Amino acid sequence: MFENKVPTKLFTNMEIDGKEFQVDGDGFLSDPYIWNEEVARLFAKYDGIEELTEKHWAIINFIRKNWEEKGMAPMIRSICQITGVKLKEIYQLFPLGPARGACRVAGLPKPDGCV
Amino acid sequence: MNNFNDKKNKALKVLSEPKDSKLITYLNSCVHCGLCAESCMYYLTTKDERYIPAKKVELVSSIYRRYCTFTGKHFPKLTNARELDEELTEEMTDLLFGACTLCGRCTKHCSIGIDIAYLVREGRKMLTEMEIIPASLQSTVNAALTTGNNMSIPTEEFTDTLSWLEDELKDEVNDPNASIPLNVPDVNVLYTLNPREPKFFPLSISAMVKIFYAAKESWSLSTKMYDVTNYAYFTSNNGEAATIAQRLYDEVRKLNAKRCVLAECGHGSRAFRWEGPNYLMRTYPFEVLTSVELLAEYISQGRLKLDKEKNKELITLHDPCNLVREGGVVDEQRYVLKHAASRFVEMTPCGTDNFCCGGGGGQLAMSEYNERRMKNAEIKAEQIRKTGASIVVTPCHNCVDQLMQIDNKFKLGVKVMTLSEVVADAIILE
Repeated sequence: MFENKVPTKLFTNMEIDGKEFQVDGDGFLSDPYIWNEEVARLFAKYDGIEELTEKHWAIINFIRKNWEEKGMAPMIRSICQITGVKLKEIYQLFPLGPARGACRVAGLPKPDGCV
Repeated sequence: MNNFNDKKNKALKVLSEPKDSKLITYLNSCVHCGLCAESCMYYLTTKDERYIPAKKVELVSSIYRRYCTFTGKHFPKLTNARELDEELTEEMTDLLFGACTLCGRCTKHCSIGIDIAYLVREGRKMLTEMEIIPASLQSTVNAALTTGNNMSIPTEEFTDTLSWLEDELKDEVNDPNASIPLNVPDVNVLYTLNPREPKFFPLSISAMVKIFYAAKESWSLSTKMYDVTNYAYFTSNNGEAATIAQRLYDEVRKLNAKRCVLAECGHGSRAFRWEGPNYLMRTYPFEVLTSVELLAEYISQGRLKLDKEKNKELITLHDPCNLVREGGVVDEQRYVLKHAASRFVEMTPCGTDNFCCGGGGGQLAMSEYNERRMKNAEIKAEQIRKTGASIVVTPCHNCVDQLMQIDNKFKLGVKVMTLSEVVADAIILE
């Protein structure tokens, strides 16, 4: 019986500060449920964010909560309105943007689409 | 075994029952001159011969010879004809899906004019017939097919976002009557969006609505079908691509808009404007144009008053492959920047010879091949660095994301913007 060799999300190991994480090709956590605050700090550091400020945490925690409750990343509108952080400031806080930046740090799987 | 044979037969039909003579002509034409090698980012950054475009063509043409020519059927070894087996499908998947951005630079440089990127797409079509499609790519197609947009944004979330942006617009232009019209029939322009704009990057929406306001345009967005993307173009599943294109077609007709304006999106523009009539087997009874052309038109007709001194930083331009090399929209974005920005520098090479950002052909969505994508990015990073610019403008949201990643990885310290964002910043409201 032929089984399609469909390339599925291949997971690799990524090391940050001596800690190993299993991630997909884009560096998103393979198992979103092993996420904790230390993961967030290390992932952020990997993107060049040396310290997570109160605003970073407000964004991360809201994204995390939305994903746990609704199974998807929140709209940028909700992030701005719930956390009170201005839109342009979000892109400064997470230089890779809300998807590859904030959602990855919050331990979510990679969203579909042009991100 | 039958399972594989069934699938194989479906894939072979792509070659044995071609829609026109183009495919067979191209498959018989490569003279192995090798000029395409130096066109390809994958080859240039690795010097791995497997990545030479002619070798990708050879994968498809060797199957054609094996099953569709007399010598290949009877003396396969004489013509390097190859059996379509599991080994070959794996090789095809790795190279046609995993090592090509469909940028078409090789096509342009081909000494005898073979549309190499088209042949790669036909190879992808064979794999798609066999249901061998990178999971991350198909999941974006599925999102579009099942939810109406490729990021599965619920309609309510979409309208809430637009109402939030409408409040921002009122503040920005200081007019309580400024609005973002939704589902309005009989307008001049039905505008579209890349779902990543409402989801994560709405500055480009704010820019376009300000531009429409300033140009006093009669326009609308549809809340039912606004998605400009068509990821089935990347999987070469023409049936699914037609389904997605048909939805936009139906929406333009339903709202009876004169023009359908495509957001800054390279593959989306190509899939609807240039491939769309072929997917749907009909011509459009309305006009389709890209927002890049619309911006140029507004400026040339004096509908926008711009002060280019408002954009003082040195700007460079990245040309999206589908829009520029494949679509021929080359001068419009330069004309727009000439009027909207005071300092501009070209990349080398640029225009129709530009290098892909590295994220085209669906690569941005395919986590499976991420490492190669970011390896390719060296070329674009170097091109940008050499310009000395502090802003990179590109009229394609897919390129925007790849360029943001390039900026972060190679520490370029540049800001990435869409064309409409630059124009909106230069607007003088009367």
